[in-house]
Amino acid sequence: MIILVFKNLLRRKIRTFLTILGISIAIFLLFSLFTFNQGYKNSLFKELDLLGIHVLAVPKGCPYEAASLIVHGGVIPKYLKEEDLELVRKIPEIEIATPIFLSQIVEEDRISIILGIDIDSYKEVKKYWKIKGRYFQNDEEDKIIIGSDVAFQEKLDVGDKIYFKKINKIYEVVGILEYTGGQDDGFYFLPLKEAQRIFDKESLITAIGIKLRNLERTEEVIKKLEEIPDLQIVTMTQVLGTILNLIGQANSLIYTVIILALLISSLGVINTMLISVYERRREIGLLKIIGAKNAHIIIMIFLETLIIVFTGSLLGTFFTVSGNKLIESFIKKIIIHSPKKIEFIFDWKLMGIIFLYALMISILASSYPILKAINLRPIEIIRSSDE
Amino acid sequence: MSEVILIAEKLNKIYQRGEEKVWAIKDVNLEVKKGEFIAVIGPSGSGKTTLLNLLSGFDRPSSGKIIFLDNDITKMKEKELQKIRSKYVGFIFQNFLLFPHLTVYENIILPLFFNKKKVVKEKILKISEKLSLTHRLNHRANQLSGGEMQRVAIARALIIEPLIIFADEPTGNLDSENAYHVFQIFSTLAKENYTVILVTHNWELANKFDVRKIYLKDGKII
Repeated sequence: MIILVFKNLLRRKIRTFLTILGISIAIFLLFSLFTFNQGYKNSLFKELDLLGIHVLAVPKGCPYEAASLIVHGGVIPKYLKEEDLELVRKIPEIEIATPIFLSQIVEEDRISIILGIDIDSYKEVKKYWKIKGRYFQNDEEDKIIIGSDVAFQEKLDVGDKIYFKKINKIYEVVGILEYTGGQDDGFYFLPLKEAQRIFDKESLITAIGIKLRNLERTEEVIKKLEEIPDLQIVTMTQVLGTILNLIGQANSLIYTVIILALLISSLGVINTMLISVYERRREIGLLKIIGAKNAHIIIMIFLETLIIVFTGSLLGTFFTVSGNKLIESFIKKIIIHSPKKIEFIFDWKLMGIIFLYALMISILASSYPILKAINLRPIEIIRSSDE
Repeated sequence: MSEVILIAEKLNKIYQRGEEKVWAIKDVNLEVKKGEFIAVIGPSGSGKTTLLNLLSGFDRPSSGKIIFLDNDITKMKEKELQKIRSKYVGFIFQNFLLFPHLTVYENIILPLFFNKKKVVKEKILKISEKLSLTHRLNHRANQLSGGEMQRVAIARALIIEPLIIFADEPTGNLDSENAYHVFQIFSTLAKENYTVILVTHNWELANKFDVRKIYLKDGKII
């Protein structure tokens, strides 16, 4: 039976190949979507974890968007005062409160994301940071620390000088962050006072990064923080929700595309299976004449379908695995606030579900013509073959 | 005296064409003995193929009986008929009806697989030798000549050791030399106690062999 099945498939090489290709594309689309969707969320969680901050205090307005932008290095037009920081630091449940000033220097050939930080408190938040060279002191106004990506792209090393034409200032690189996998890799870090000065925002800060002593008391701390008039509080879980919400729209677009693609490829598979079985009515009739029972014919076509779907699934999985870099860059292009690196997680369970889905579609597609063909009387086959 | 294995009694087949009734087979009575070689001869449209289809159980008569091995096959369900066919009956068609993508060997053994019978290599080789196919066993069916294809079809019919072989215009697509050869094969098979009923319009060829001829005209045996 197996030999017969394989020979049947090889007999119509182009059709078999196209059917397998159709199925592999459907599998590829489905598998990529689900895998990257999960990977995207995981990467986002990981990235937020790397921030080392539990709660973010931002100016009143659109807190979640502001928080999202801060996480990814955007610029928001509202500021907090340094006095707010002092008020925050007075809350005993807060272990560290670190001021963050965020802005960008936009020049002709580059956009540099500048993060003004209080190095003493910021270091405490980013305990996992490893640095080549050293940290600057808060009063070293001509020193800079850069992320690993910046160092790589700008070909900078410790001791090198960076010139920002727009502000006409040269900084000396005193430290380069080792690769973190987070957004820090793409930032320029300046002492807080220096960052405020160059953007003419003395005593103003963009946000306050807060690390709590005990996460179980988050709600209690938030209540206290909300009593400070200028502040709006966002927890990192909320930030994650906001980002996911922001990408939701883009995701819907992708889902629509995928559903359409899936529909088209499913129709393709259905069409191929229908034609394939219809064309083989004579063959099926002949098999009956030489003694094949209905069960033989059903098993034969089912095995053929199984082989096609299995090969298509393998090919689709191969496309997904080998093309994951391509998909990653595609997703990063169409979705704002993408994590720096989207994890690719191979999920066997998901693969199994998708395989079963494709198999179900194919079996459904071939069931009707099979049932029609096996119910034909051999005489009809003989008559049609004489025509 | 040989046993009678197939009986047709007052067999009629009527087709309805619009309002007109067409008698394809009219009051046919026939007895077929084991080991007989029968040629149903007649012009086009005389009802030869219809008669063959009725006798083999492929088609149902409008009236009359067909007794095969003491069973009235006209009353059998398709499933039961299929069982009888796969066990006792071999079929050969004008256009060979082989599986072109399978080898000669695979084409021959296919009925064994469906009938859950063992593939005995010696038996296949014996049949192939008898039909001069040994050198072609590993070739695909679509690489063969018309004569060879028909011999493969005969081998496929023989592999289940049928009691009766029905052949519908088996020489229709062959040149005279191959047609003669195929007829000769059937004649030999009949001598080996196979029952062969074939349909042909080639009465000249049939006349060359020791065959019981049944002439059909307008659905009637004359």
